[in-house]
Amino acid sequence: MIRRPRVPAPEDFTAPSHSPLVTARLGLWLGVAFGLCFGTGLLSHYIQHPPGWFTWPTRPVNLYRVTQGVHVLSGVAAIPLLLAKLWSVYPRLFVRPPVRQPIRLSAHALERISVLVLVCAAFFELVTGLFNVAQSYPWGFFFPTAHYAVAWLVVGAMLLHVAVKLPVARAALSTPLRRRRAVQAATPGVDDRDSSERRAFLRTSAGVAGIAVLATAGVTVPWLRRVSPLAWRSASGPQGVPINRTAAAARIAVPPDWRLEIVWPGGRDSLSLADLAALPQRTAELPIACVEGWSASAHWTGVPVVALLRRAGAPTGRPVRVTSLETDGLYAASTLPAVHARDPLTLLALRINGEQLSPDHGYPCRLIAPSRPGVLQTKWVARLEVLR
Amino acid sequence: MRAVRLLLFVVGAAATAYGGSLLLPQLGTAMPWLIGGPVLHDVLVAPLVGLVGLALGRLVTNRFRRAWIVAGLMASATLLLIAVPLLWRPPSAPPNPGLPDRDYPLGLAVGLAVIWAAIAVVLVVAATVDRRVADRRTDRP
Repeated sequence: MIRRPRVPAPEDFTAPSHSPLVTARLGLWLGVAFGLCFGTGLLSHYIQHPPGWFTWPTRPVNLYRVTQGVHVLSGVAAIPLLLAKLWSVYPRLFVRPPVRQPIRLSAHALERISVLVLVCAAFFELVTGLFNVAQSYPWGFFFPTAHYAVAWLVVGAMLLHVAVKLPVARAALSTPLRRRRAVQAATPGVDDRDSSERRAFLRTSAGVAGIAVLATAGVTVPWLRRVSPLAWRSASGPQGVPINRTAAAARIAVPPDWRLEIVWPGGRDSLSLADLAALPQRTAELPIACVEGWSASAHWTGVPVVALLRRAGAPTGRPVRVTSLETDGLYAASTLPAVHARDPLTLLALRINGEQLSPDHGYPCRLIAPSRPGVLQTKWVARLEVLR
Repeated sequence: MRAVRLLLFVVGAAATAYGGSLLLPQLGTAMPWLIGGPVLHDVLVAPLVGLVGLALGRLVTNRFRRAWIVAGLMASATLLLIAVPLLWRPPSAPPNPGLPDRDYPLGLAVGLAVIWAAIAVVLVVAATVDRRVADRRTDRP
């Protein structure tokens, strides 16, 4: 039998994976993954651009490491889930619009537009996120602001989608995937086979999401470092920790007469490297936890910022602006919130894992504070300024 | 339920509008990357998946075996997608010690090999069990 090629209709797709029972469950899982991504992403955004009401605790020291690890890994898990979900609803792409009924047509158009926004935004977030973790930027926009803006599009369009689909989804979720024995015995055959194929598709989607996480989780989970073949960072690097920005890339030249400047309203002080090294040192095991989701712990030795301020006679318990020798670049300075500035584990580190900081790690000294994104752990520190 | 849906609708519309207003200054450069995903998926990826599914349905009639092969294909495709930025990387970023510092083609090959080896083991074991069961049945008088 030869049929003329034509645009398929939803009824042409007969596979059990297109059942609403499958779609609703995949949608729920994808909602959880995107929800985790959005929540942790929003936290990371607020830590870097804190609104007045926002505070972020300094304990546990690995807190940001965990939230940002969850951010990238839930994003990775969402990749196969999104594709499975789209495959499940692919037949709906071919629903013919109700052309002759203006009211139903406009509702149809609105729903299609909201789904289009959702799919565009979802792909955008996953693709740009995946390229960003590899520090590859084959586009013209500025990644952090675009990724943040489109995150709101995903969440908004997702809520709209749930609002539209809630009755269908609720009905589908409350229908068990496995038919009860009695029902099954009454109507064996096709239903039975469909039900087992629906479950197989869901199981496979969940399993593949697990494999994707396993293949990348080594970036932040130490015992998976050797297991994950696609981890975009290893724990190795100079002095045991990877580098995100080298001294050469930041064009750092440490002047021979380098001194750390401490400035506060009504006073100033300065210390040479020898002065800093002569002060009581503290060693702490703290992670570098990057916004890109990778993290690695190291033993850092240096002077607690709070001790340094106290010794100089500067007020403590206030935010402190930390400025680098780096002149340009987005992260040439960062502001320590008051909670972090008075935490005794917030160090101006001179040594890493028992060695003097290499130029790429921030020689002569760098900031290392608990539970903070790596981009805010300013390297090549030149100046501490106590803010009001 | 009506109230919940209305609330979802209002919050969703507000969040979408907020995201749109944030994106506005970069909309021009971001547009190809926004549209690219759905277009590539709907025009290329999904039809390809459908064709592979049809072909597989003809070639592998045993449903158990087909389910495992489908799982292997889905896992392989996902790993390949995740590997794209690691394998194809415009050299725009300055060199960073510790970043892409592994042999990713080798890692990807090993990952795929492990997945398909596991599936092969499952299929061989299942086939052996099936044959034994069939043999036992034919042994009976």
